[in-house]
Amino acid sequence: MKRGPFIPIVATLGFIFLYAPIISLVVFSFNASKLVTVWGGFSTRWYGELFANEQVLGAGLLSLQIAASSATLALILGTLCAVALTRFRRFRGKTLLGAMVSAPLVMPDVITGLSLLLLFVGLQELIGWPAGRGTLTIIIAHATFCMAYVTVVVQSRLSDLDISLEEAAQDLGATPARVFFDITLPIIAPALISGWLLSFTLSLDDLVIASFVAGPDSNTLPMVIFSKMKLGVSPDINALASVIIGIVALGVVIATVLQLRRPAAARS
Amino acid sequence: MVQASAPRIPWRPWGFIRDLMGTAGMRGRWVVIAPPFLWLLIFFLIPLLVIIKISFSQSVVGQPPYLPLLTLNDQGDVQLTLHLSNFMYLGQDSLYLAAFLSSLKIALISTIVALVVGYPIAYFIARSSDRWRNILLMLVILPFWSSFLLRVYAWIGFLKNNGVIDNLLQAFGLPQVTILYTDFAVYLGIVYTYLPFMILPLYTNLVKLDEALLEASADLGARPFRTFLSVTLPLSIPGMVAGSLLVFIPAIGEYVIPQLLGGPSTLMIGRVLWDEFFSNRDWPMAASVAIAMLVVVVVPLMFLQRAQSAVVERR
Amino acid sequence: MLDKPQLAADTRPWRDPEAKPFVRIRDVTKKFGDVAAVNHVSLDIYKGELFCLLGGSGSGKSTLLRMLAGFEDLTSGTIEIDGQDMAGVPPYQRPVNMMFQSYALFPHMNVWHNIAYGLKRDRLAVPEIEARVAELLKLVKLEGYESRRPSQLSGGQRQRVALARSLAKRPKLLLLDEPLGALDKKLREETQYELVKIQETTGVTFIVVTHDQEEAMSLATRIGVMNQGEIAMIGEPTDIYEFPNSRFVAGFIGSVNMFEGVVTEDEDDHVRIRSAEAGTDIYVSHGVDCAPDQILWWAIRPEKITLSRDKPAAEFEGANVTHGTVEDVVYLGDMTVFQVVLESGKRLRVTKANSLRGDPDAISWDEQVWASWSGNAGSVLVS
Repeated sequence: MKRGPFIPIVATLGFIFLYAPIISLVVFSFNASKLVTVWGGFSTRWYGELFANEQVLGAGLLSLQIAASSATLALILGTLCAVALTRFRRFRGKTLLGAMVSAPLVMPDVITGLSLLLLFVGLQELIGWPAGRGTLTIIIAHATFCMAYVTVVVQSRLSDLDISLEEAAQDLGATPARVFFDITLPIIAPALISGWLLSFTLSLDDLVIASFVAGPDSNTLPMVIFSKMKLGVSPDINALASVIIGIVALGVVIATVLQLRRPAAARS
Repeated sequence: MVQASAPRIPWRPWGFIRDLMGTAGMRGRWVVIAPPFLWLLIFFLIPLLVIIKISFSQSVVGQPPYLPLLTLNDQGDVQLTLHLSNFMYLGQDSLYLAAFLSSLKIALISTIVALVVGYPIAYFIARSSDRWRNILLMLVILPFWSSFLLRVYAWIGFLKNNGVIDNLLQAFGLPQVTILYTDFAVYLGIVYTYLPFMILPLYTNLVKLDEALLEASADLGARPFRTFLSVTLPLSIPGMVAGSLLVFIPAIGEYVIPQLLGGPSTLMIGRVLWDEFFSNRDWPMAASVAIAMLVVVVVPLMFLQRAQSAVVERR
Repeated sequence: MLDKPQLAADTRPWRDPEAKPFVRIRDVTKKFGDVAAVNHVSLDIYKGELFCLLGGSGSGKSTLLRMLAGFEDLTSGTIEIDGQDMAGVPPYQRPVNMMFQSYALFPHMNVWHNIAYGLKRDRLAVPEIEARVAELLKLVKLEGYESRRPSQLSGGQRQRVALARSLAKRPKLLLLDEPLGALDKKLREETQYELVKIQETTGVTFIVVTHDQEEAMSLATRIGVMNQGEIAMIGEPTDIYEFPNSRFVAGFIGSVNMFEGVVTEDEDDHVRIRSAEAGTDIYVSHGVDCAPDQILWWAIRPEKITLSRDKPAAEFEGANVTHGTVEDVVYLGDMTVFQVVLESGKRLRVTKANSLRGDPDAISWDEQVWASWSGNAGSVLVS
C-alpha cells in the first residue's frame, strides 16, 4: 500500500505540539534569569532553591504518602470490584455496582470534590467522624475515584483471561479462593501493577478534589504549586516541573523497555 | 523448586464465618462484592444525595454554613424545609445560563479540534510497524503520566506576553498577539491536556482494522483517499465517538484550565462552582450548580456507555 | 489361548444385565433461559469404558460433559458417579478430572508444577508428589521436560501434559473435551492409539466429547450420538455404523445412500419395499416391525453395493438390482468412489477397495452399470 507523506507530517506536527511546551519548560528551568521566558544564561540555582524549599518538600512528601496509600486502597477495592463484575454472573445490585464504578471516570472533579466534602461535613455532625478534614479524607477521596480506573484496567485483563484456566484449577481440587490466589492473581499481576501506578499518578496529580477535602494542615504538592502559579510564572516551578517530568519519563521508559524485552508469547 | 507442604494450621476461622454467613443468607461471593459495593455506596452515591439535599438549603454564617433541612418547630414536630431559591436563582441570573452555554461551546469546539488533531496521530501509530508502535504509544502516554497541572503551566510560559511564542513572533518581526487569558488559550489547553484520551480509543479501533479490507478496496479500484472515506472512516466511528466523549464530558466541568489560561470573561461552569464555594462561601448555591451540571453531563454519559460497548464488541 | 470373542464378551459390561453402571445420568435437562441445551438425557456408563459423546455443535454434548464435571448446574435430573449423587458437589470435590479442549495449562507454571498442582491440593507429601509426577511423565513420554513452560512446548506436547495433569489424581472418571481437535492428522492418528493404550493401562473410565466421527469410531468402546440435546443412539461402533436406528444416525456417521419407499410385502422372514427412487424393489431378508403400505426409508452404505457391466443374476426376482450411468470417478488411492446416476435421477455413491494394483478393467466415466446388493446389506429405518 502506497503511503503518502500527509499522515506522517501531520502526525509529526502533532507530536511536536505535545512535547514543545514540556521541552521549553525543562529548558527554561536552567535559565539564570528570573524572567522565565527570556534566556539569561545557564544556571542550576533554581534546583538548589527548590531542594531547600521546606514547604515544597513537605508537600511533596505528603503527596507521596497520600498517593501510596490511596493507590493501594484503590487497588484492593478496584480488583474486588473487577472480579465481581467479570466473574460473577448475576447478583442483586450488579448493575448498580457497574454504574457506580464507571461514573467517577467521567464525572467532573469539582462535583466529586464538593460531594465528598459535604459528606464529610455531614458525617462529622452526625457521628463525629471524620474529625476535621485532613490526610485521611484526601486518601478516602482519592481511593474512591482511583478505584474506578483500577476496575477498568483489571476488568479488561480479566475478561481476556481464559476462564478454562480457572476451571481447570477447580477441577484439580482448588477452591475458588485458592484459584484466585494461585492462578488468577499471578496471571493478571501486570494489570494490577499498572492499575496501582495509574492510581498513584492520578492521586499525586490531583488538585481539585484535594482542594475541597483537604484540611488546614494538609497541603498537597499540587495545591502548593497551584497557589504559586496564581502569582504568575516563576523559574522554581519550572525546576520542580522538570524534576517531576524527569522521574516520570524515566519510569515510563523503563516500563516500556521491560515490556518490549519480554518474549512475545508471554506478552498479553 | 519443590516446596515442602505447609504445616497444618490447627484452627481456621473461615469455616465458622462461612457458616455464619450461610445462615444470614449470604454466600461466599459477598466477601468480594461487599467491600467495593459498600465503599461506593458510602463515598460515591450518598455524597451525590447529600448534594441534592444541600442544594435545597440556604447559606448561613456558621459551621456548617448551611441551614439544616430537618428541624424541630415550636410544637416539637419534625419539619422539612426545602428552599427552592437556589434553583430559581440559577434560572433567573443570566450568569449561570451563560456559563453553561459557554462550557458546552468550549467543550464542543475543543473536542472537534482534538478529533482533527488526534485522528492522524492515531492513524499513523496504528499503521506503524510493531516496534515503532510501542515506542510511539509510549510517547503519547508519557505526557499523560506527568503532572497535568505542570503541563498547563507550561502553556502559560508559551502563551504569555513576552512568552516563547511572543518572542518567536517578535524575532520574525510579526506583531504581538495576546493569547493568554483568552478563550483561545483555553481551547489550546483542553486539546493539549485531553489529546491522549482522544488518541487511545481511536488507536484501539484503528489497529483492529483488517488490512485486508483496505487491500480489497484498492483491488476494486478505489484510490487511497476514497478507501479512507468509504472503508476506514466509517469503521472507526466507534473509536471516534468514544474518544470524543472522553474529551467532551470532562471538559465541560473543567476548572484548572480556564482558571490558569482563561480570562475573566471566560465563563466555565466548573469555575462558577468553585467560586461559589471558595469565594462566595455559598455551599448550597454550589450544590445546585453541581446538580445542574450533572443533568447536563448525564445525557452524553449514556452515549458513552453505548459507544464503549460498541468498541468492545468489535474484539 | 483364550477365544477372542469370549474375551470381548467378558470386557463388555453393558452386555451384562447384572453389571452396575459407574456413571448414571438420569433424565437430565439443562436449560439456558428457554432453550434446552440438554433435554431429558438418560445414559449409563460402565467402569473402564472409553465412552464417546458424538455430535455436531449445539448437540448438547459439551454441556453434558460440563455438568458431569460440575461446572454447570442441572435444571432437572440426577447424575450419580460411583453410586454418589453429585447434586451440590462443586468441581473441586468431585472424583472427576477433566482434560480441556484448549488444554488450559497454567502459563506461569512449568510442566512439573502443572502436573503437581492437583496433587498439592490433596496435600500429599513431597516425595509422593515427586514420584507420581515422574511416573506420569514417563506415561506420556515427556521425561526431561519438567522445567519447560507451556509456551515452550509444541501442540502435541501440551496435549500430553494436559493428559498427565488430568490423570495425576487417579480420578475415577476422566472427561476429555475434543482431546485431539487441535492436532494435525498424522499426530492425531498416533495420539488416538496412545490414548486408548493409556486408558487400557490405567483402567480409568474415560468420557470423550467429540464432533469427529472417525475419532469416535477409533477410540470408543461405545458411542452416544447426540442431536439437539437428546441422545439419538447408544451403541458399539459397529452397531452405530451397520445398524443405525434412525435417518439422523445413518446420515451422521460415514456416507450413506438413503431411499424412500413403500412396503409392499410384510412377512416374518422378509420385507419388500417398492422405491421409485431406487428404480427397483428392495428385498430385505429379515422381518421388520412395520405395516403394509407403510412409508419408510432404507439406507445402504457405499461399500455394500457392487457395480458390474453385465446385469447380475437376480437373487430375488425384480429386486436389489438397478441400472445407471457413472457420472464421476474419484480415485483416492486405497479406494475408488463412484457416483452413479440412476434412471430416476437419484445419485448413488458406491465405493470399491482397490484390491487389484492397476486394474485395466476398472469401470470408468460414462459407463452404463448395474448396481446390486445383498438381502441384508442395508438398514430399514422408520424414523
